[in-house]
Amino acid sequence: MKRWIIGLFLFFLFFVPLWVQGKEEKEITLYLFHGDGCPHCAAELEFLDSIQEEYPTLTIKKYEVWYNDENAELLSKVEEAFSITRSGVPTTIVGDTNIMGFGSGSDIKIRNAIDYYLEHEYTDQIAKIQDGTFVKEDLHSEAFQKEEEKSDESLSVEMPVVGNVNLKNISLMSAAVIIGLIDGFNPCAMWILLFLISVLIGMKDKKRMLLIGLTFLFTSAFVYLLIMLSWIQIAVKITTIIWVRNLIAVVALIGGFVNLRSYIRSRNSSGCEVVDDKKRKTIFHKIRKFTHEKRLLFALFGVIVLAISVNMVELACSAGLPLVFTELLVLNHTSSIMKFFYTLLYIIFFLFDDLVVFFIAVFTMKITGISTKYNKYSHLLGGIIMLLVGVLLLIKPEWLMFQFK
Amino acid sequence: MKIVKIGAIWCGGCLVMNKVWNQLQKNYDFEAIELDYDMDEEEVLQYSPGDILPVFIFYNGNQELFRMIGEHSYQEMEEKLKEVL
Repeated sequence: MKRWIIGLFLFFLFFVPLWVQGKEEKEITLYLFHGDGCPHCAAELEFLDSIQEEYPTLTIKKYEVWYNDENAELLSKVEEAFSITRSGVPTTIVGDTNIMGFGSGSDIKIRNAIDYYLEHEYTDQIAKIQDGTFVKEDLHSEAFQKEEEKSDESLSVEMPVVGNVNLKNISLMSAAVIIGLIDGFNPCAMWILLFLISVLIGMKDKKRMLLIGLTFLFTSAFVYLLIMLSWIQIAVKITTIIWVRNLIAVVALIGGFVNLRSYIRSRNSSGCEVVDDKKRKTIFHKIRKFTHEKRLLFALFGVIVLAISVNMVELACSAGLPLVFTELLVLNHTSSIMKFFYTLLYIIFFLFDDLVVFFIAVFTMKITGISTKYNKYSHLLGGIIMLLVGVLLLIKPEWLMFQFK
Repeated sequence: MKIVKIGAIWCGGCLVMNKVWNQLQKNYDFEAIELDYDMDEEEVLQYSPGDILPVFIFYNGNQELFRMIGEHSYQEMEEKLKEVL
């Protein structure tokens, strides 16, 4: 019965959102004026292709202006209408906003502009230029500009030696380190590692112990990474749908309450809760079977299968913080590479306490536990973070994007 | 005087308590019985250990005096032990 519930939970968490497509119903058009052979244009074209799936209601219209006179004429009309003095390609227009060139940070600016017009008043000014109904007084390019300046000011600080520092990057990096570390101390999968180490110590073969133990740890980390990355892929598509965001907030709130309840229950005592008998016996049996396997390759294969299955089963127990963290990344529109980087950072710190226990065991051939008081604090801090993110998602999502003005 | 310790190899808190347990045995004279939740399953069941580990059950002869459950410092354990020795 319990397995069914967990299965159902995983299904809803990871697969149902796959068919939930699209952002808002609102349709907007992005115009790109580009030249054939211009490298910045090529980079922007590639970028726009990569985000098309993410914004199903966004139409991207591309106008080549170096070899097409008609398009070039349209561009000069647009430049005149938008009072663009420094003409050139690529020129991007969304609503009342024009973005010149495509360099570092342009991807974020374009995304911000799309997001802005998805949520604010939008007029297709280019269509108006084309059908001759454009009125300069109706152009409000300052609206988005003001929004951008507001967030730029609040996000950049001048620091001695290193120069201009983006607070968003620092905040996300700190979040990865702190939440990863807290998540690492959650007891969901720690007991299996201790099980494994105990059996490996009995074999008194350091090399074999290192190989099997590290294979278990890194496979677990890899599975966790894949789960988080796939969740990011999905969340990127659906997070701006307001009810999905609210649903994630509710999941975070429930997770927060469950964690705080665990903390309160175990506040006055510290010890290990006995893991359910059947599950413990199955895992214990599997561990013994493959650690006694003489052929190393078979043993390694066994440990990989165990690590994958354990992490899938324990996911229901530990999904709260990864969910909250990936939501933070998605809300902040970090680039794909940075999302990967932050998630990797999270995983490294998530692995930290397991690696400490494991290496102490390898070098001293003694198994050391990590006091259950750390599990308690993991529940407390994890619970607070989940509650906080849940509440902010509901009432002040912009704070999670580090925009406090 | 007898103390029964019920622990498990998968329990971090039990492993943390091993040091305290060994120190107590070194410094005091009592009969120490150590049981593993998984390996000594049948014997453990007789003590109805509950669902938090480790459990230390203090006996005077065959009479159970009290239990200490979870992690404790050496001082706490020593204090309790002194009360009944």
